[in-house]
Amino acid sequence: MRQNHLRSTQPCLPALSAAGAAATPQQQHCTHQTNGTNMRALVFRQHLLEALSLRNMAASTRAANAAASNPQGPASVGPSVDSPTLQYSMILEHLIGDKRPVKGLNPAVMGGLPVPPKSDEQKMIERGMESCAFKSLLACVGGFVLGGAFGVFTAGIDTNVGIDPKDPLRTPTAREVLKDMGQRGMSYAKNFAIVGAMFSCTECIIESHRGKSDWKNAVYSGCVTGGAIGFRAGLKAGVLGCGGFAAFSAAIEYYLR
Amino acid sequence: MDPVKAQQLAAELEVEMMADMYNRMTNACHRKCVPPHYKEAELTKGESVCLDRCVAKYLDLHERLGRKLTELSVQDEEMMRKAAVGSG
Repeated sequence: MRQNHLRSTQPCLPALSAAGAAATPQQQHCTHQTNGTNMRALVFRQHLLEALSLRNMAASTRAANAAASNPQGPASVGPSVDSPTLQYSMILEHLIGDKRPVKGLNPAVMGGLPVPPKSDEQKMIERGMESCAFKSLLACVGGFVLGGAFGVFTAGIDTNVGIDPKDPLRTPTAREVLKDMGQRGMSYAKNFAIVGAMFSCTECIIESHRGKSDWKNAVYSGCVTGGAIGFRAGLKAGVLGCGGFAAFSAAIEYYLR
Repeated sequence: MDPVKAQQLAAELEVEMMADMYNRMTNACHRKCVPPHYKEAELTKGESVCLDRCVAKYLDLHERLGRKLTELSVQDEEMMRKAAVGSG
């Protein structure tokens, strides 16, 4: 897979492969792509020369790889050396040990599709938008709006305003009705905002901690949120709140997934 | 063998080594962190966190093993040299 990809980024140069025999089909494949027989012969000869020089290096690479992958045999390093002048400890120090150079890893070279590098601002913005604080803020605002709408709607249905004990049949004035709608809407909005922010915050924290993204995150955070809300009214209410909210979250997750 | 030649040889080998390491790391972390449920195109928060951790662990492992390997390689060569001197 790696060798195929190295070939695809440099279509007609022989790949730095440890198997020298693999260079031959590569040359034949490349020569089909050039135009003209003279050009083809020249390119073929050039590739042959490069392959021969690379074969020498490939032999030493294979030996280095064999030495690198066989650390538990102290005597095996000696006999597997082709040329006695290669000192593997020094090469390894420069390759994977302490003296290796600091490399800027570029996905275009490594093997990914070449994408333009993101600027620092863009990275910061994206990190901010993925953060738990931003998500809980979003849920808070969303909850506020939804709660407001729900409260206003409920005030229209279930009205209890303007009840005068002396005159129970009096219709309430418009100002009283509006005031009642505003109050209920605000109260529902605040509750929904708090619940939404808590749920989103705990779900994000739990998901970051677990490192997985599945339905259990919502269930755990539902339990935490319901428990926190119900805990104010006692321990049993907290447990009930945990169970109920967790079941509700599980149902929503089942529907969504 | 002088250090300059060793460094040059290491630089030539490094390209292939880094490409291989990157591919292996990508495969391993993809297998571990991204379950095959493609409901949405973007990486979720849990998957991003898992990938960060996977890459950090992989590179840490690579560094430690590389250091240990160079230590062992130095020890091997010392032993070889002693054996050569002793027999020669």
